[in-house]
Amino acid sequence: MQCEVKNKERAGVINPILTCQPCGAQYASIGIKECIGIVHGGQGCVMFVRLLFSQHFKESFELASSSLHEDGAVFGATHRVEEAVDVLLMRYPHVKVIPIISTCSTEVIGDDIDGVVLKLNNGLLKEKYAGREVHLIPIHSPSFKGSMVSGYDVAVKDIVSHFAKKDKPNGKINLITGWVNPGDVTAIKHLLSEMQVDATVLFEIESFDSPLMPDGNSVSYGNTTIADLTETADALGTIALNRYEGGQAAKYLENEFDIPTIIGPTPIGIRNTDIFLQNVKKMTGKPIPASLVRERGIALDALTDLTHMFFADKKVAIYGNADLVIGLAEFCLDLEMKPVLLLLGDDNTSYPNDPRIKALQEKVSFEMEVIMNADLWELENRIKNEGLELDLILGHSKGRFISIDYNIPMVRVGFPTYDRAGLYRHPVVGYAGATWLGEEMANTLFTDMEYKKNKEWVLNVW
Amino acid sequence: MPYHKFKCSECIPEREKHAVIKGPGEDLTSALPLGYLNTIPGSISERGCAYCGAKHVIGTPMKDVIHMSHGPVGCTYDTWQTKRYISDNDNFQLKYTYATDMKEKHIIFGAEKLLKQNIIEAFKAFPTIKRMTLYQTCASALIGDDINAIAAEVMEEMPEVDIFVCNSPGFGGPSQSGGHHKINIAWINQKVGNVEPKITSDYVINYVGEYNIQGDQEVMVDYFRRMGIQVLSTFTGNGSYDDLRSMHRAHLNVLECARSAEYICNELKVRYGTPRLDIDGFGFEALGTSLRKVGLFFGIEDRAQAIIDEETARWKPEMDWYKERLQGKKVCLWPGGSKLWHWAHAIREDMGVNVVSVYTKFGHQGDMEKGIARCEEGALAIDDPNELEALEALEMLKPDIIFTGKRPGEVAKKLRVPYLNAHAYHNGPYKGFEGWVRFARDIYNAIYSPIHQLSFVDISKDEIPDQTSFLTQKMISDVNLSEEVTASKELREYTGNYDTITPLRNKTYPDFPAEKKLSAV
Repeated sequence: MQCEVKNKERAGVINPILTCQPCGAQYASIGIKECIGIVHGGQGCVMFVRLLFSQHFKESFELASSSLHEDGAVFGATHRVEEAVDVLLMRYPHVKVIPIISTCSTEVIGDDIDGVVLKLNNGLLKEKYAGREVHLIPIHSPSFKGSMVSGYDVAVKDIVSHFAKKDKPNGKINLITGWVNPGDVTAIKHLLSEMQVDATVLFEIESFDSPLMPDGNSVSYGNTTIADLTETADALGTIALNRYEGGQAAKYLENEFDIPTIIGPTPIGIRNTDIFLQNVKKMTGKPIPASLVRERGIALDALTDLTHMFFADKKVAIYGNADLVIGLAEFCLDLEMKPVLLLLGDDNTSYPNDPRIKALQEKVSFEMEVIMNADLWELENRIKNEGLELDLILGHSKGRFISIDYNIPMVRVGFPTYDRAGLYRHPVVGYAGATWLGEEMANTLFTDMEYKKNKEWVLNVW
Repeated sequence: MPYHKFKCSECIPEREKHAVIKGPGEDLTSALPLGYLNTIPGSISERGCAYCGAKHVIGTPMKDVIHMSHGPVGCTYDTWQTKRYISDNDNFQLKYTYATDMKEKHIIFGAEKLLKQNIIEAFKAFPTIKRMTLYQTCASALIGDDINAIAAEVMEEMPEVDIFVCNSPGFGGPSQSGGHHKINIAWINQKVGNVEPKITSDYVINYVGEYNIQGDQEVMVDYFRRMGIQVLSTFTGNGSYDDLRSMHRAHLNVLECARSAEYICNELKVRYGTPRLDIDGFGFEALGTSLRKVGLFFGIEDRAQAIIDEETARWKPEMDWYKERLQGKKVCLWPGGSKLWHWAHAIREDMGVNVVSVYTKFGHQGDMEKGIARCEEGALAIDDPNELEALEALEMLKPDIIFTGKRPGEVAKKLRVPYLNAHAYHNGPYKGFEGWVRFARDIYNAIYSPIHQLSFVDISKDEIPDQTSFLTQKMISDVNLSEEVTASKELREYTGNYDTITPLRNKTYPDFPAEKKLSAV
């Protein structure tokens, strides 16, 4: 077998690829309208996550903290959650949804956030906020389990299961995007609209790319509404684009409400987008229209200009969220490239059973490594000490110094990408994403050829 | 000095005494905002945690060290690559961060074995680095891992390495300030006095509370070297671990950020009798006075004066070019802690701007005392501000610019208030004479940005100006200036380079032969 799937051997982490669960839960929280999450833990768990979001999107998002201090850590701090909910509701009259997000500290001390929610529902909300619609949703996201990816997955599931309620069929599909950018949501919505499919998009985060308006507006937030979430139980089907980011919510809807469900593939690249459209077609009975045949043709036309001449046999390393990494690897293979190293940034034990990874193991004929529970040192050490030669790196900004120090061109993709302007606006999914990714990779290689004077004259006659 | 009540905070009476407006003729005895108290949950405060105060603010700028956090991966990841504390060893401390990656089983069974394995692995991965700092997090504090014992065990087994332990979990105190205190005390308790330095000058200082944001430390150290002063260590920006172990041998502790690092200076005074001299690297006047004070201490005022004269002659005409154009502009000075008093007076003096508000996220009452004293009448001072209060203040004050952090800066942007990054700077360094001009240049460019002007136009309602297809900052700023100013031959715009730090690293300095017999006293 040429493709080896294994765990990182070291115990610790040198330069992590992913952060911890509460960040993922917070990312889900900001996708909902009239919602401010409360993170139950130390203040850094919120302050730095808000900073991270603002680094990536160049926007500010609202998230609150229960501000756990020493006394709370010793004597229990559920009263701080009660106070936080009250303060938040008093000062933000529009807020209707409050996810209560746990962290390592409050899970270790055993604070019962489910109990607090029950208490608040029967007490404070009835007494002081009677007549106001308020949803408190406990989300258990201890930092010592999983990663931001599983935190997102858990939060999406908890939020969906809180609201989903069967009424009459709404004829829509649920489209669970996973951890994507506004540009991806735009691309997916475009494909669905071309197919005349009505969808509930979870989460509706196109608005994260918010404008600077003449009347001034202060915050960015997602646009998924309580009605959207409630209606998920009435859909004619659910498509979750990512297995590990939203897959649990899709399965919940399937088990609870018998909603036909398709999970994956992540529609990165032409082939996966084709499959996605076919899934939509199967689910809705709507045909794939000529307009998308044409769009696909434009993407294929663009990529054909690049593949054999520039991409063939280029060695690529990819790191980040598992669904993204796998999707990118599959696309690279279609582009004649060699994704020789895939780094999955957390320890999800189901990765080896992922059919996409199994397929790589069965069918890839060059030397390829898939490292689970990986950190960025797995990449750097191979380059620095083990002679790994790469033509391209695909990953987020936290790995930027590997590209800089070892002079390897890198395309920023995933989350976060704070060291490049406006990437959240560009899709990696759909035909538009395939074109953008292909051209971005090509242009990055071209700049590198010129910078290193490595056959830069080739481009004279291209 | 009446307390200022925010409308948005009427429902939380605990906030009543956290903001004041400085009234006419009032002094500090009438009222000071409360400070450094526990945060009100759910208020959307901007505070961080004690872990970040220790690890992120003070620990990590140390340059030749493996900085490892004992806990789940998030604390490490989240505080990594969010600051601009550079170093002259290719930014090792910016590039690498380490987490022991504590998982559920470790929470249950303990993670000391995991910690030890991590330490050994990290030294193996970076064989040339022999120094390490270990930071406790909420999780490792709560399960009670004995980090000090593991560090001691490893040091015994690997005599070539040295490890510092900082026990400052995130929940330890109202804000990051708790962590500043803890790491100060931990460092002097564990490490100071362990290394004997080579003394090469009659005048030896520690430079304390300086984090080399965009090269601030290197600018200041350049001045000290030009005065023939040996900078034994910097606590901690661009600082070396072993140099900081020899802090006890300095003749003077020159303290910059008193909020984050006065503790170690005070302890050095108590334990080693080393005096503390508070200085200020920001602002022509303040920096000049600071260099003179250091000169005076050693009896080398002439050397300080020579630098002040040279630098002032070089940069003052550029400073004044901006001052003419920034007169009366309203500023919200909303940094983290000490910059509210480092900057309040200096920006008014040197740039002519009017500080209409100061706030502090993690400062104490003492910081407010200094900050308010340096503000003009009418200034609004806020302790531990929260999102809604900040918005209300911006609506009320309508400042021309705000100096704050990256994320609050995004909020200000949407209100069409330009922001400069008070923590990481836009185009720093801001310390030093040239740095201060760079700051003025950044302020000027932000306020007179042609794009910023466009954000006030509503194309659906307003008349769209069509006389010109472009504007420059100067076309906007010079409209109401006198001919005397605009045609001045003396004043000029900033003429420095993008990178002012790299050239300093290869600089040679005049030889000031030591007069006393030198020894490690």
